[in-house]
This record gives sequence, structure tokens and C-alpha cells, in this order.
Amino acid sequence: MKMSLDWLSQYVDLPDPAEELIDVLPMLGIEVEEGDEGPSVSLDKVVVGKVLEKNQHPEADRLSVCSVEVGAEAPAQIVCGATNFKPGDRVPVALPGAKLPGGFKIKKSKLRGVASEGMMCSAKELELGEDDAGLFILSGEPEIGQKITDVVSKSTTLELEITANRGDCLSHLGVAREVSAYYQTPTRFPAVNNSAEPTDTATGNSLLSSLDVQSSQCPYYTAWSVKGVKIAPSPNWLIERIESIGLRPINNVVDITNFVLHEIGQPLHAFDLKKIADSAIVVREAKEGEKITTLDDQERALSPNMMVIADAEKPLVVAGIMGSVDAEVDDSTTDIVLESAWFHPGSVRATARTLGLHTDSSQRFSRDVDPAGVEFAARRAIDLITEIAGGSASSEFISVGEPPRTSRTIEIETDYVEERCGFEVSTEDLTASWKRLGFEVEGTSPIRVTVPSYRSEVDRPIDLVEEFLRIRGTSDLQGSKFLSPSLIRDNEPAYDLCDRAVDNLIGQGYQEACNYSLRSSDELASWFPEINQEDLALGNPLTADHTHIRASLLPGLVEVLAHNQKNLNDLNHLFEIGRVFQPGPRGNAELISIAWVNTQANSRKNWKEEESSDFFSLKNSLERLLHAVGLNAPKGLWQSTEDQLPWQNGYAATLGDVHRNKLGIGLGTLSLNLTKKYDLKGAVLAVEILIDPVLLAKQKKPHPFSSFSTFPPAIKDLSLVVEKTEPAEAVREKVQEIIHQTIADGISLDPVIIFDVFSGKGLSVDKKSIAFSLRIRASDRTLGEKEVNNTFEKILEAIGSQTPYELRK
Amino acid sequence: MENPDLQKIVADAESSLPDVSNKPQWEQTKATFLGPNGSLTQFAKGIGAVAKEDRPAFGKALNQAKGIVESLFQNRLTAIEEIEDLKALGDKIDPTLPSVSSLQGGLHPLTKTRRKIISIFRKIGFTVAEATEVETEWFCFDALNTPDDHPARDEQDTLFFPPHSKWANIQRKKDESYLLRTHTSSVQIRTMLREKPPLRVIAPGRCFRRDTVDATHSANFHQTEGLFIDHKVTVRDLKGVLDFFLRELFGEKVETRLRPSFFPFTEPSFEVDLKVPDLGKLSNKWIEIMGCGMVDPKVLGLVDIDPDEWTGFAFGLGIERVTMLLHGIDDIRHFYQNDQRFLSQFSSQV
Repeated sequence: MKMSLDWLSQYVDLPDPAEELIDVLPMLGIEVEEGDEGPSVSLDKVVVGKVLEKNQHPEADRLSVCSVEVGAEAPAQIVCGATNFKPGDRVPVALPGAKLPGGFKIKKSKLRGVASEGMMCSAKELELGEDDAGLFILSGEPEIGQKITDVVSKSTTLELEITANRGDCLSHLGVAREVSAYYQTPTRFPAVNNSAEPTDTATGNSLLSSLDVQSSQCPYYTAWSVKGVKIAPSPNWLIERIESIGLRPINNVVDITNFVLHEIGQPLHAFDLKKIADSAIVVREAKEGEKITTLDDQERALSPNMMVIADAEKPLVVAGIMGSVDAEVDDSTTDIVLESAWFHPGSVRATARTLGLHTDSSQRFSRDVDPAGVEFAARRAIDLITEIAGGSASSEFISVGEPPRTSRTIEIETDYVEERCGFEVSTEDLTASWKRLGFEVEGTSPIRVTVPSYRSEVDRPIDLVEEFLRIRGTSDLQGSKFLSPSLIRDNEPAYDLCDRAVDNLIGQGYQEACNYSLRSSDELASWFPEINQEDLALGNPLTADHTHIRASLLPGLVEVLAHNQKNLNDLNHLFEIGRVFQPGPRGNAELISIAWVNTQANSRKNWKEEESSDFFSLKNSLERLLHAVGLNAPKGLWQSTEDQLPWQNGYAATLGDVHRNKLGIGLGTLSLNLTKKYDLKGAVLAVEILIDPVLLAKQKKPHPFSSFSTFPPAIKDLSLVVEKTEPAEAVREKVQEIIHQTIADGISLDPVIIFDVFSGKGLSVDKKSIAFSLRIRASDRTLGEKEVNNTFEKILEAIGSQTPYELRK
Repeated sequence: MENPDLQKIVADAESSLPDVSNKPQWEQTKATFLGPNGSLTQFAKGIGAVAKEDRPAFGKALNQAKGIVESLFQNRLTAIEEIEDLKALGDKIDPTLPSVSSLQGGLHPLTKTRRKIISIFRKIGFTVAEATEVETEWFCFDALNTPDDHPARDEQDTLFFPPHSKWANIQRKKDESYLLRTHTSSVQIRTMLREKPPLRVIAPGRCFRRDTVDATHSANFHQTEGLFIDHKVTVRDLKGVLDFFLRELFGEKVETRLRPSFFPFTEPSFEVDLKVPDLGKLSNKWIEIMGCGMVDPKVLGLVDIDPDEWTGFAFGLGIERVTMLLHGIDDIRHFYQNDQRFLSQFSSQV
């Protein structure tokens, strides 16, 4: 919200210098936004100029060539694109050498072949206002050649940020109340003379024939009549006020309603009586299919949850937001109906949101205006209208409904405040603080505090604690010496697990990356065609590349590989840990993902060759990680991927299923077709572990100790010929199982190890041989050769009789 | 050893050894002296021809010679093995050549900041709580005293899932909409429903806003929430905890102040400003760093904690923001581009 210090000083004495408020207001909860007044901006060379002549540019329809008096001996010739001015107007002129906000430097130049010695400026170009529709026409004939900063003062306007709970501060009087509470000086309210009496129906005294409030979203509506006004430009003082907060003056009546809105915070609407069909006002919900062309020249479709102010035929105003072009007060207006009302904040907010139409008026209604201000603001506006635009006000106004809220009383004890603040507080201090805020205070135990209607959000004891602290000041608050507990709770297990995984993968040489969770539909379709797109779609995405939540960390990581490869960066081992989302049999699940990728292609050569990684080195990397973070791999065999994106057929595998086992792993080469799209050189090896956090909620029991043999093992090798399609692990498990059954009690077997796999010469094409290394030992002695050979014979016999495997001789 | 034959054998052994350069050759040469047909063995067989009384002397001399020859060979073997071991080592190294693998794992700067923040709070008894990134309207807004028509709940600012969306591992209050959480404050609610005070938790995590990406905005970003609930917790305790945290993070010279503000779930609410003497362009200016406040009694009521018995405070800060301040990073997009030239500047663990 823009606030003029000069305007503010009308209602409260300001400190000297008034700019002190820039430091004071934030500590009251009202942030002051900093302007970008850097040293690069110098308005020194921007002066008041007077347009002497305005001629068409010979080469360009849209430009004019002007002669402008700027206080120098000869007038300057300036080429200009604006159209809103005429000879005789005084405007700001940036002379060569001036630097405008935004760093734009003014030089002598030629525009379409015509020399131009400067630039005439709009208010926005000088950051003296919001208006950028044309030149800033200066009112009141300021001296030609005078610095613009001496004529239009910019330092006196502050941009305030009002928090959502302080709708009462969205006006100059509202801020004045805060300033007066802080400095303990009185607030000066404007005196009102209008003394119209309320009636509840349109009687002879009103210009309206009827007023019908049908909408429940409008508990309180008043309509005021003024006859015989003369529409004209506003007087200078009013124009200055309006311009000082960045608005454009329109005409006296409209400017007065805007002025009162920014003075008191109550939005008003002035209707031209002759544009109200049948002189009837209806406050109602819009009808299905109804349309309105609002003052910004946009046709807008209304829906039945939107409230409008209508006449007998059509909607005239989107209630509390913006009027239509059909009901505008214009130069021919003579009779006015002025609306002052209280609309339900939620209703106005919802409508403004749906229409994407946020106005000064909607902003105030949405933040809950003061019901007590409804009458006050109307009387104030009518005083100004009759004073400035003439006319006579009706002695009655129509008032329908009741103010929805008045003052309320809260009871509070001094102890309550002390216990929340943590320091000693006296009842007198509390009473004084609340009185400064304009609250009425009575009694000591309990203290009875009556809060006026404009403070809608103060209605509990805790709210009074906040008000006390705000006025007392919080900048000098000393922190306490808090106690540390001797016992602290455990971290969330998922957090610790991920933290250990980070350390492990860094130890394995991987760099951590961080990617967006929101991805495009194209990416999801090409990486995970089996996922139903709808399951992971957002309801209201903002941009086309952020329509879905990620199902995997791999696409992001591949993008990062590609980015770094393209930039010849030496970064080809990456990991990420984060949340991913996958549809499952019972609905979507949010999962923890730990993923890492690498590519062999390196942007730089090394003097010595590096060992290349493959499926099996990555499998080891996975095992190291699982071991480090304390996860057991899911039971079962690795399954080769077949037509299972994003993996490459035959070069990748999966283990476990995250929906069934709460833990699932994919590992191997990513589909070459997929990674090729990223212009990546070389295949990408990847691992992704998916964990359902429920897996981590179980506490692990300590692992029980089992004793082990201290005697040396006997080592025997065994080579079996098996079907080529038989998974090696299945054979190994079978062999191990048979050995366990065969060996005598007291003899143990170390895990059977595969040490060679061979196919080719000497074997038929559909066979392969697998060589195993067996280590058996007794718990109480070193096994003798004879015993070992006997055992081994038995093992061979058992394998021969129980499996189709052939012994390779 | 006066026997000239033995002397010759020893001398022969001595002179034959320098030419012996590998193990097989060594075996072979050794056999010519000590093998079954070796010269020393042959010589020993001559004992039969030695007079009985001379035999001890003969034996002694023989053993002495054998000892010498054996040790000659042993020494040579050691030397050969040493040469062979060295050969296996290859050429001598140039220690200034670079390492072979170019791998240098590293932390992402956001992880680094997060860990720093958590380790500071851990010192004063805060431990990590987590909740899901997908949330529901009740946990993200209603339970945090944010009314139905509050601007933060606009479709304009919050990413919602369509009404038919179903989530298996995220618990809803009723049948409210699912959404991507806009702040980590929802973790407060899930934690307080599960665990009862006294509580000190810190909850780092990813959040989402319906924002277009630019230098200061990101569709997803990270926050750390803190929650402290105990008997008789006051505004001064809040200040004390945050002062401790900010001093640990920005140094002893940091100045802080609480500035009144507004959040629906705290009352009173504050922004925390800090002033640091050595922060580049931002030195000695009040900078807004985080939001905080005393947990609103209504929020405690909604999670079945008696607001008359327990009081507490909550705070939240942006991890990106803190990282950018600490390192003078000017564009939030750096964190998500993952360019090596950026990451490598911050990737060391300390």
C-alpha cells in the first residue's frame, strides 16, 4: 500500500524528520519496502519543461517533434511518442546526462532522422507514480527549469506491506492510529457535517425507487443520495493527494471516493442515477451466464457464487470489486447514489480470485473493513462532494441490515501476560499500553479490555499479549538462558538413513545433486510409459514443464549428466536422495528414493586409464550402500528387465517390489534410446532404491551371536554344466542347499562362491559352466584329507542325483 | 679350511653367483654345488677314502664349506627376490602426477547448510522430525489455524492434486484435498499428534509454491521448521533459542531483533532480523532471516494438547535463503542446475 507522509500528517503529528517512520513502522508490524534509490539514479537533470509547439514527425506517424522550453536560452527540440499532451502543458523533461531509474541514460540522439535533445517523461519512468499511460502533466504551473524533485517530492510516499490480519491499517487513518499509539499523540479524525438519518426503505427523500438486498453475503448496505452535482476536474489539493499514492485523477466525484477509500479504508461506489434502470438497486448473486464489462474494458463472465450490485435489468458492479462501464459517473452526471457497505470478506476474496481482478476496493473488503466506518466514510464523502462538486445531499439515507460486528470485551489477568512474555509486567503498564491502542480498559483482576470494531482479529487474551508486546517494543527483548534437556529423542529413522546414504555415496566418489520434483508429462511418458499419467498429475499446474510430480530421481540425474557433459565439466558420477511418488495397488505412495548414476564418457583424458564400471561394479556399489545404511536387500533373485523402461533390455535388473516388499531396487544400464535423447555420449549406468518409509518404523532387534570354527577350512572346487538360461544364483543356492544337507553334523560350510563362468569351446551352445569354490570345516579339528575327499564324493553324488547339472570334468 | 678342493668349490660358487639373475637359474646353479650330483655332494662322498682319525676334521671342513655355500646362495636368493619384487612394482613413480580417478564425491550446498542447522539445534536438544511432501489441506492449513478463505490457500499459490487423487501412505483427516505442502509447518501437526510434550524438534524438508522459476523463486525449495513445547515457555525463551542458533551460524558478532508480524498459527508472531558486520553487501543492515512466534493456543487445541498446561514456540527458515546469505550466492537456480563449476565450490564435507 502506498502512503504519503504529507497526507498522513493531516491525522497525526509526525516525528521530525518524518522519515523516522521508516524505522518505526516495521517494529509495529508494518513493513516498509525499500526503494531502489541507488547512486545510479540522478533526477538532477530532470527539470520542468513547457511544451511550446507540437508537430507531426515527418517520418513516423506515432511520433511528434516538440519545441520545449526548459529554462535554457533556446528551447529544446524533443521527439516524443506520447499523445496525452498539448502545447502549454508543463511536463518533466530529462535533459542529456540524466540517469533515469533502471539505469537508463539520456543522450542527444536522432529518432527517425530528427534530432532529439532529451526526453519528456511519464510519472512511472521517473518512479514518481504508477502512471505510464502518457506524459506526467504537472499541475499548478511550476517554474520552468526547476528541478523536478523540488516540484514533485517522491520521498514522502512510502510503500507499506500490511500483513493479512491488519486490514484496519489499509488507510492513512489506520496507519495514523498506529503512529499515534506509538508516539502517544492524538489522532485527528476529519469532522463530518452530514447528518442524514437512516431509513430502511426507499422513501421520497431518496433518489432510488427501491433497494433490495437479497444476498446473504451482504449483511449491511447503505445508499446515499446527492442531487445536482457538477462533474469537473478535482481541485489541486485533491489531485496531489490522488497522485501522491500513484493513482490517476479522473473527476471530482470519482477522486473523492478514491480519496476516502485511502483516507478511511472504506471503499465507496458512486452511481450515476440516470444509468440505474428504474432507479432500483438489487444486491444479489449473479445469474448463470450473466456478463459485465468492467471499467478496465474487460468483458467478464459471472457465476452464481459472485455477488453483484444490479439495477432492474443488469449488473452494474461486481460487488466490492469493480464497476461496469455502464454505470460510470461521467461529465454528464448530475445525480448520484453513493454506496457504502460491508461485504463478506471471503465472498469478495473468492470472486476477485476467480476473476483475477484485484483492486484497492477488493483488497480492503477481503481484509474485513470496519463496520463502524461504513456510515462515517459515506458522510465524509458527501461532505466533500457537496463542497467540491456542489449539489445537495438528501436528509435521509437507506440503511439495510446491521453492522456485523461491534466492539467486544476480553478479560485477562496480568499473570497470563507475564507467563507468556517471560518478564515482569505491571498491571499499570498493561493498562497503559492497551489504552494507547485505543482500547478501553477497566479493572485490575481481571482486566477488562474492550476492543473497538476495527480490530477484528483481537478477540482472545493471547491477542492482547501480542498487542502489548507490539506497543512495548520487542527490539530490546533479551533471550532467556534456556535449559537443555538431558534426554533427547531420536531422529526420525528415515532422516538418519538418508544422511548415512549421503555419506556413503560421497565416499564412493559420487557428487550430490538436487533436482526439481515437478516434471513434465512428456518426461513421465517416455521414462515410465506404464504409469498412468493422471495418477501423478497436479490439479492446477502453473507451467507446461511442471505438470507432474516425479516418479523417479533418474530423469533429473540424467539431465544433470547431460548438462555437465555438454559444458565439458568433469562430473560424471552423481547421486540424489529425495522423495518420489508412484502409483500402487492401494493408491499413490510417497517413497524415499536413493539413486546414483555414472557415465564412462569423460570430457577429459587422463594420463592413466581408469577401470571402467559395469553392472557388477555398480552392484557392488549398491551392496556397499545397503550395508552402510543397514538395509537388507529384498529376498529373491534379481530379475532381468524385459521391455521395462527406463532400463535397457538384458543389461539391467530389478530386485524386490516397493509396494509388496516396501523396498525395491533397479540397477543397470538405462535404455540407450532414452539416454540418447539427452545427447549423452556413452551408456548411463544407474541404481535406484525405493523405500516406503513404513519399512523404517520397525525397530531392529540386536543380531544374535553364533560361534564359528577356529580351524582352517578344506577348499574344493566344483564345476557344473548347466542350461545357459539358468540364473547363476539359482544354481549356487541349489548347490549350497544340497551341500548343507549332505555334510555331517559338526561340519560347516562357508558361503559357496562362484569363481568362474564359461561358455563356448567344448560346451554345447545352450550350456554354460559355472565353477564354485567350497570351503568346509569342522568345529573341533582340522579335517583330514580322507574325510574331505569322502565328503566331496558324497556332495558330487547328491548333486548328480538331485539336479540336472552335469559335473564338468 | 685348508682343503684346496673345498676352497675351490667355495670359490667356484662365489664366482658363479653374480651371473645368477632369476630363480630357475638359481635353482639350477645351486644344484651344481648342493644337489645330489653337485660338487659338494660329490666331495662328501670322498669321506670313505679318508683315514678314520681325519674324518672329524674332514666333516668339519665339509660342513663349514657347505655352510658358506648355502649362505652364499641364500644371500643371492634374497637379492634376486628383491629384484623380482621391485620389478613387480614397475617403474619408480612421479608423485606429482595426478590421481587416476577423477572422482571426488561431494555434498550439495543445501545438504551442507541443512546439516549445519541441524547440528546447531541438536546441541540444545532438538532432533529431527519428518513428514511427507504430499500433504492434505487439513494438515497444511486447517490445523495451522489458516481459515478456509485465507489467501495462502488459493489455487493461485498452492499446488493441489485433483479431487480423485488417492494416496496409500498419507493419512487424511477426513476427505480433504491432497496438495504439495507449502511449508514444513505441517510437520508440527503430524509430530504433535504422534508425540506429546515436552517436545523439541527440527523438521527440514522440501516445500512447494505455485511460482514461476526466477533468480529468487523456485517451484520447490527447502525449509527447516522448529517446534518447542514445554511448561512455561515464553517469548524470551524463543528469543534465547534463536539468538543461540544465529550466533552459531553467523558468528558471535550477530545482532538480532524480533519484529512483530503475522502468521495464522502463531500468536504473537515475529520476523527475526539480523545484522552482521561481515556479510558483503548486506553487512551492517537489518536482514529478515526467519519467521517465528508462540504457537497459537488454537493450534495446540486442535492436536489435543492443553494450551493452559503447555506453551511453546515455532519457527521456520528457508535453507536456500540461508545458504545464499552465507555464501553470497545470487541466484536460487544454481541449486537446481547442478553445474560442476558451482557444486565443486561447496562440496567438501566441512
